[in-house]
Amino acid sequence: MSKASFTSRRAPVHHYVLAFILGAILTIAVSVLVGASNPGDFWLAAGIGALCAAYPAMSLGAKVFVSNHTVARDAHGEQSVELQWMRQAGAGAFLDILVAVLVAVLVLVIGRFTVDALPVLLGLIGLSAVDAGVRYLVIRYRDLK
Amino acid sequence: MKNNLAERRAGRNWTQADLAAALGVSRQTVISIEREKFDPSLPLAFLIARTFDCAIEDIFVAE
Repeated sequence: MSKASFTSRRAPVHHYVLAFILGAILTIAVSVLVGASNPGDFWLAAGIGALCAAYPAMSLGAKVFVSNHTVARDAHGEQSVELQWMRQAGAGAFLDILVAVLVAVLVLVIGRFTVDALPVLLGLIGLSAVDAGVRYLVIRYRDLK
Repeated sequence: MKNNLAERRAGRNWTQADLAAALGVSRQTVISIEREKFDPSLPLAFLIARTFDCAIEDIFVAE
């Protein structure tokens, strides 16, 4: 499996500043978008949007500006069988989700049903995660048994 | 791809974990190569050959 390990090295200070600025810009952009989508309660929606976006936005900033200096890549990570299992599981799960969504759309269109988007989207996230995980375990079991 | 990695490893009294550590890959990777479920990348094949002091074609044979 591809691995990375943190080192004791530090990036130049201005890289941390740039990472924070990028993270802050992305967080503000997302919070404004979320707030604008809910004009009746702009600040509440914007605050929730900022809370949700802050961690991934700051992580992205660190990935872009800091991690090259502080994270050591595993030289042989690409050569491990786990990466192949992961790719197979991911590709299979993607096809499963695609088929599931197509079937669900057909059922909804033909049956003229209406459903809320939120539980469907949450279900899709859960299904894709479980699908990929189960596929990975099955592929691993078959290769190692 | 067929290979005689298991025989060569046993000839040195190495465990799969020993070989995995020498190659810098996981033990599962070594198991999968020995069972011919996984073809190693070219750099890994060179590394395996270098580890056993032989040529790649001495270990791996195309089916």
